[in-house]
Amino acid sequence: MTLRNTQIQLGAAACIGAAFLTAVAIPNWITSPSNVRNLVLSPTFWPYVLTGLTALVGLLLLVSGLRIDAAAAEPDDGSDEAPEMPGAWMRLGLLAAMMVVAMVALPRIGMVWTTMVLFVAAAFLYRTRHPYIAVACAVLVPLVLYAFFAHVAGVAIPQGDYVRLP
Amino acid sequence: MSFLDSVMAGLSLVANVETFLALFIGIVVGVIGGAIPGLSATMAVALTLPFTFALQPITGILLLLGVYKGGIFGGSIPAILIKTPGTPASSATILDGYPMAEKGEAGRALGMALWASCTADVISNLALILFAGWLASFALNFGPPEFFALILFSLTIIAGVSGESLLRGALSALLGLLLATVGLDLVYGTNRFTFGSPDMMGGLNFIAVLIGLFAIPEIIAMAWNPVAHLGRTRALGQSRMSFADYRRCFPTILRGSMIGVFLGSIPGIGAAPSAFLSYSEARRRSPNKANFGKGEIEGVAAAEAGNNGVAGATLIPLLALGVPGDVITAIIIGAFMIHGLQPGPMMFILNIDIIYGLFIGLIVSSVFLFIVGSVAIRGFGFVAKVPKRILMPTVLVLCIYGVFAVNNNIFDVGVMFVMGWVGYLMMRYHVPAAPFLIAFILGPLLENNFRQAMLMSGGDPSILVRGPITWFFWAITLLTVIAIARAAARRTNPAG
Repeated sequence: MTLRNTQIQLGAAACIGAAFLTAVAIPNWITSPSNVRNLVLSPTFWPYVLTGLTALVGLLLLVSGLRIDAAAAEPDDGSDEAPEMPGAWMRLGLLAAMMVVAMVALPRIGMVWTTMVLFVAAAFLYRTRHPYIAVACAVLVPLVLYAFFAHVAGVAIPQGDYVRLP
Repeated sequence: MSFLDSVMAGLSLVANVETFLALFIGIVVGVIGGAIPGLSATMAVALTLPFTFALQPITGILLLLGVYKGGIFGGSIPAILIKTPGTPASSATILDGYPMAEKGEAGRALGMALWASCTADVISNLALILFAGWLASFALNFGPPEFFALILFSLTIIAGVSGESLLRGALSALLGLLLATVGLDLVYGTNRFTFGSPDMMGGLNFIAVLIGLFAIPEIIAMAWNPVAHLGRTRALGQSRMSFADYRRCFPTILRGSMIGVFLGSIPGIGAAPSAFLSYSEARRRSPNKANFGKGEIEGVAAAEAGNNGVAGATLIPLLALGVPGDVITAIIIGAFMIHGLQPGPMMFILNIDIIYGLFIGLIVSSVFLFIVGSVAIRGFGFVAKVPKRILMPTVLVLCIYGVFAVNNNIFDVGVMFVMGWVGYLMMRYHVPAAPFLIAFILGPLLENNFRQAMLMSGGDPSILVRGPITWFFWAITLLTVIAIARAAARRTNPAG
């Protein structure tokens, strides 16, 4: 992506976000008492100030992006950016799905079992060259963390409805 | 309490095996974390934070400080051996460290990195001990208007962590400030963006946001390109650093340490700019300036002294004013809060034993750093071989346990995942995450002090410029903004 596109897209997103906050989010999702005597003490004052500044920065990003000559636009300074590999978007989608499934599974089958499955899935998603080590780590790491947090730190790690650990 | 009493109180707190063991383990974890490219000192500190919950406050905080100091040094090892800085602070070390490794002098470069780091660390710790108390006693005169002006000034310094684009840094900071408004309003107790959820009434969990922003994007980036990390490690070589090398570089190390102390004590600047400034000063003054960039050991000494000189000094604003000096100290501020401590001038009155305990621990940490660093240099080959495609799932699992452990709440894990994707998007669009986090921490402080000041004055804004302290902070804020604007204009139009 060119620097021009990055600036324009970010600027547009900031302006749209600011408009959404002003028109929808702040009026509807912030409760302000009717007896606020001083405007600056209102719960909405600070969010409105920040929204105004976001809109300003968004506009500046837009202007700075538009001022860059489209023909001479150079790629954004992404020399350290990893190039796209085949199946990259699919792997991103799968990882997002794994996170959603993990959120659903955590209270139901427990943190230890969920994280074991998540570990294996992530390692294979990354196309590990050490599948046996990955499976061994997938079993050991959650168990060690469970032992520490449950028995040393006294954290009530979710156990789930099926198999419970001591 | 006299100075001696304070020292004894601090000593009684830290003089036990558990505390020193935690510090030692922290340095080991930090060096390993810093040495693994992609993990970084910041992520290592963030991932260690949940393990401090079960510890005494002083033990937990020293563990984190150990990780911090170890991480800053650890970053130099891959910078020299594989031309990949383990932490951004080590970027300047590559300039001469890697050419030395190419010449078969990696052992010499790493030796100098260690000696320079430890020397700078000692100097930085001494600066912290000398100046933090003095600054805190001055800050006792601060009220809400003064704190508002100070925090506003700290926010302007975010420009220093904004990377290549000031506007993107500002956008990141504004997003952080907006996210910090979630929760119950502190004056009226009404809901702000809570959607009726009790999980959101206390605001979003700081640890979930932090780990989401700094650890999860790396895990997601790994899915984008699972082989991006593969590289070649240089051997240590036969050449070792001599005392003559150290003596020759000592003035450079001293200068770099001073630069680190000065820049570290200003909130928001951090270790990377300090390392580069120290490096450029060394090059400017060195009789061997032609060798810089081609494998000059003085360059390694300058870069490492510059970045480690920051480590202690960055705790000066943290302890004395309660303002984080950089991202890592922002995480450490979270650790203080989790343990029921509020860094700032009052801590020098209410918890002086902890303050002096930290000072003692920090001095010992320099010795530990030297011991661990010496071993780590030889053991890097092993660390470099840790398969990253196993390491990242481990980090993912660690994040889930760690974030859950803060409040025993699965909702926080969800916040972490969402913030992870936000952080990944920011990474893709080159929006820096550091301003977001610093603003997220400073946001509530800024708003609270502003509203307290307004309550005190009955809404009269003149209270914000009520005396010399506020004038001072407004003046330096104005000067900083002008300097930032001029630098930005110069960057946009270099010819002009």
